[in-house]
Amino acid sequence: MTILTVALKYLRGRFVASALTSLSVALGVSLVIASVLLSRGIKQGFIEGTTDYSLLVGAKGTPTQLVLNVVFRMDVPTPNISYRIYRGLQDDPRIEVAVPVAMGDAYQGYRYVATTGEYFAAFPWRRKTFAISDGRFFRDDPAEQPSYEAVLGADVARRTGLRVGGRFHEGEEAAEYPLTVVGILRSTGSADDRAIFISLASYWEMNEVSRKMQVKPLTAVLVRSKRMSDLPSLHRGFNVTAEAQAVFPSAVLLSIFNILSLVSDVLAIMLVVVGLVVGLYLFVSMYSATLERKREIATMRALGARRTTILGIVLLESCALAVIGSALGIAGGHGLAYLGASVLAGRGGPVANRFAVDALELVVFIGAVALGALAGLLPAVLAYRTEVAENLAPLS
Amino acid sequence: MRGAPPARRPMIDVPPAVTLRGVKKAFPLGNGRALDVLDIEHWALPAGRCTVLTGPSGSGKTTLLNLIAGVSLPTAGTIAVHDTNVSALPEPQRDRFRARHVGYVFQTFNLLSAFTALENVMLSMMFAGAIPKAEHRRRATEILARLGLAARLSHKPQQLSRGEQQRIAIARALANHPSLILADEPCASLDAGTARGVLDALLSICRGDGTTLLVVSHEPAMLTAGDQIVDITAINRLEDPARSVERV
Repeated sequence: MTILTVALKYLRGRFVASALTSLSVALGVSLVIASVLLSRGIKQGFIEGTTDYSLLVGAKGTPTQLVLNVVFRMDVPTPNISYRIYRGLQDDPRIEVAVPVAMGDAYQGYRYVATTGEYFAAFPWRRKTFAISDGRFFRDDPAEQPSYEAVLGADVARRTGLRVGGRFHEGEEAAEYPLTVVGILRSTGSADDRAIFISLASYWEMNEVSRKMQVKPLTAVLVRSKRMSDLPSLHRGFNVTAEAQAVFPSAVLLSIFNILSLVSDVLAIMLVVVGLVVGLYLFVSMYSATLERKREIATMRALGARRTTILGIVLLESCALAVIGSALGIAGGHGLAYLGASVLAGRGGPVANRFAVDALELVVFIGAVALGALAGLLPAVLAYRTEVAENLAPLS
Repeated sequence: MRGAPPARRPMIDVPPAVTLRGVKKAFPLGNGRALDVLDIEHWALPAGRCTVLTGPSGSGKTTLLNLIAGVSLPTAGTIAVHDTNVSALPEPQRDRFRARHVGYVFQTFNLLSAFTALENVMLSMMFAGAIPKAEHRRRATEILARLGLAARLSHKPQQLSRGEQQRIAIARALANHPSLILADEPCASLDAGTARGVLDALLSICRGDGTTLLVVSHEPAMLTAGDQIVDITAINRLEDPARSVERV
C-alpha cells in the first residue's frame, strides 16, 4: 500500500460525498472549457465566415447591421439600394470586381441569396473557394427569362433533404414560382452553407414588389478595388451620398470582436466566481471529512504515521477529487461546447465547430488540480496538527 | 489460535524493556494552572513478560501508556524503551520508533473503517517501513490467520463482530514484530466469553514470540494470566490524580 492507495480508499469509503464533490469540480471545469471553446469557436466562425471583398456597399444604416446581414446572414435585413449603384461600380475604373447581392425570403429558415455567377468565382486574392458536390451552378439568366434554378448550401441540402432535380417553394404565394435544385455546394464553413443561391432574375420575378419595379433592387454590392489605395476614396465617395454607404467588413469584424471581448471579460469574471465556489465546496468537503476522521488520523499517528504522511494523504485526496473532476469536466466541456455550437449553427450563428484538445485543457487541468491542492491545504494542515492522545480518548 | 496461555513465569533477573526515571506528567489547564497526573520516581517493566496494570479510573494508566509509546511527552523525566530514550527523540524519529518497536491495542479497537481487515494490518507495516513491501500482504495474512481470521481478510470492520475487530487490532499491533505491546483495556467493551478468547490470543502470541506486554486491564482472566500485576497507585507518587489539586 502507498499513501495514494490510502487516499483513494478514503475517497471510496465516502463514495457519495466524493462523487458529488468530483461532480461539482466537473461542472465547474465543463463550464470553463465550454465557455472558452465556444467563444473561440464564435470568433473563429466570424473569421472563417467573413468575406474576401474589401468593401461592402449597401443602404444607409449601421455598418454592423449591413455586414451581419449580408455576410453572416444574421440580424434584420437592411433596406434596398438601386441596381444603378451596381452599374456605376461596374463602370468605375478603380473597381476590379463588383458582385450584386439581394437577400430574399427564406425556405424552412434558410435565406434566399440572389446573386450572379461571379459570387462563386475564384480569384487569386480569394481565400474562400466554392465547389459543387453535386450538379452545377445556376445560369446567369437574363432579367426577362428567369430560370428559377437554385444552388443549395451544404447545410441546407443536409437539413432539408433536397436533392438535385428537386423542386420547392415556401408558402402559397411562391407556389407559382417553384425553384429547382440544380446544384449543391461543398461545405465552406461559412454562412453560405446555410443559404439558397438563386439568380437575380429569378429573385426579382419571385418578389411581387420588385417584379413591378423598373429599376430593380439589390441589398448590397461586394466590391474589390484594383488598388488598396483606392479604398479610402471609394469609401468616402459613398458615405457622403444620401443613397448608400460603404463599409469595410474587416473594420466591422474588429468592432464585433471588441464586443465579443467585453462578453469574454464578463464571462471570465463569472468563471472565476465559479472556480471559487467549486474550490469552496471542495474545501468544505475535505474539511468536514477531516473533522469526522480525527480519531482515525490519531490512530494512524499512534500506529507510527508521520505528520507529513497524514498531510500527504489529505492533500492527495483533495487533488484526486480535482483530477477526477477535471478529467470528467474536460470531456463534459467538449460535449457541452459541441452541443452549444450545434445549436448556434442550427440557428444561423457563425461558429467553427472544431474543438481539438490543445494547451487549454492542460492549463485548465493543472489549474483545477492546483485549486484542489489549495482547497485541501487547510484540512491537510488540520489533519497534520491532530493531537494523538487528545483524539484517542476512549469514546463514552 | 493456540490453546490456553502458559502459567505465570518467574520475574527474577529479567532485564527491563521499559525504564521510567523521575517521570512526571501534568496537563496544562490554562491561566498557568496544570493538572498533575503522574509522578513516578522509578519503574522498570520486565522484558518478555506480561505485566497487568491496574488502578482506579483516572489514575493515569492511559497517560502512562501514551508516554511509553511516545504519543505524548512527559513534563519531566526520561522514558527508555530498551536502550532508546523515547522522550528525548524528535517527533519524526519518535513516530518511526513507535511504528517499528511498539504495538498499541486500544480499548475501542480504533480500526480504520474504510479499510479491510487485511489492509488495516498492512497499513501498520506501511507506516513503519521496516518490512519490505512485497512481504506486507503475506505477513498480514499470516498474522490474521494465526488469530483465526483467515476467512475475514476482505471484511471491513463494520462487517465483523467486536471480538473479531479486537483480534484485527491485535494483528495490527503485531504486524511489525514489535518488542513491546501496549494494550489499553483491550477487553473492556467485549463480553466475557469473547474477552477470554481475545486475551488468550494476545497472550499466546506474545509469549510465543517473547514480546513484552503491558496490559491495562481489570479482567479476572487477565489478572490470573499476567506474569505480574502492578497497581499504578503503588508507583505513582500522586495520591489521587483523579482528584489531584490543581496547582498554580
